[in-house]
Amino acid sequence: MAEQPTCSCGANEPKRIIFPCAGQANVGQLTNLAALQLTDEGYGNIACVALLATGAESLLANTMTADEVVILDGCPMLCAKKIAGAQGVAAGQHLVLTELGLTKGPSKSYTDADIEKVVAACWKGEGRNKDAATPKKAGGNNSGCGCGGTC
Amino acid sequence: MTKIEILGTGCAKCYRLFANAEQAVKDLKIAADVIKVEDIDEIVNRGVMMTPALFINGQARAQGRIPDVNEIKKMLTE
Repeated sequence: MAEQPTCSCGANEPKRIIFPCAGQANVGQLTNLAALQLTDEGYGNIACVALLATGAESLLANTMTADEVVILDGCPMLCAKKIAGAQGVAAGQHLVLTELGLTKGPSKSYTDADIEKVVAACWKGEGRNKDAATPKKAGGNNSGCGCGGTC
Repeated sequence: MTKIEILGTGCAKCYRLFANAEQAVKDLKIAADVIKVEDIDEIVNRGVMMTPALFINGQARAQGRIPDVNEIKKMLTE
């Protein structure tokens, strides 16, 4: 009998670590849901950005040996990116959900289509090949997160 | 016309690779056929041992992973 191809699907994928900002706003929560789906699909493994902020050595060691770090920020505050940067972790791919056309607040609701939009953008590599290191100037006169003062 | 084939039995990753290939073709504005190959015998006959696989004009370009849009665009313009 001929040997069957394994549907190990993605066994050759690079080792990726995904840090969602997991903020309280709808877009922050969406980063978390997208990271979970990406983990489920074998794109990489979700990790805790709050733990990264503490400087946990085991997580840092794990992150430094990854082929790619993926950072998902919900809004232009770029909290996850800043936390990673403070620990010396650079993103290979960085997505900001509001730049994907998702609107931050005031609603806390989201749809499956919103999650799919983020997951698909990640698989497509839309967060690569751009200068994601420069925080964008936020609009409004509030905290700078771009929500218009609703968060 | 460029022939792009996505070999896989139809799981989420095959879908992702197919979507990336379609996006690459759209971005490059080239004439290309993007085809799914889900027949297991055909996949085996091509020597694919790990899915999903990407074939461009009959040549295996990636197996067991999903190249992103930019990587596929690079393959198509080589």
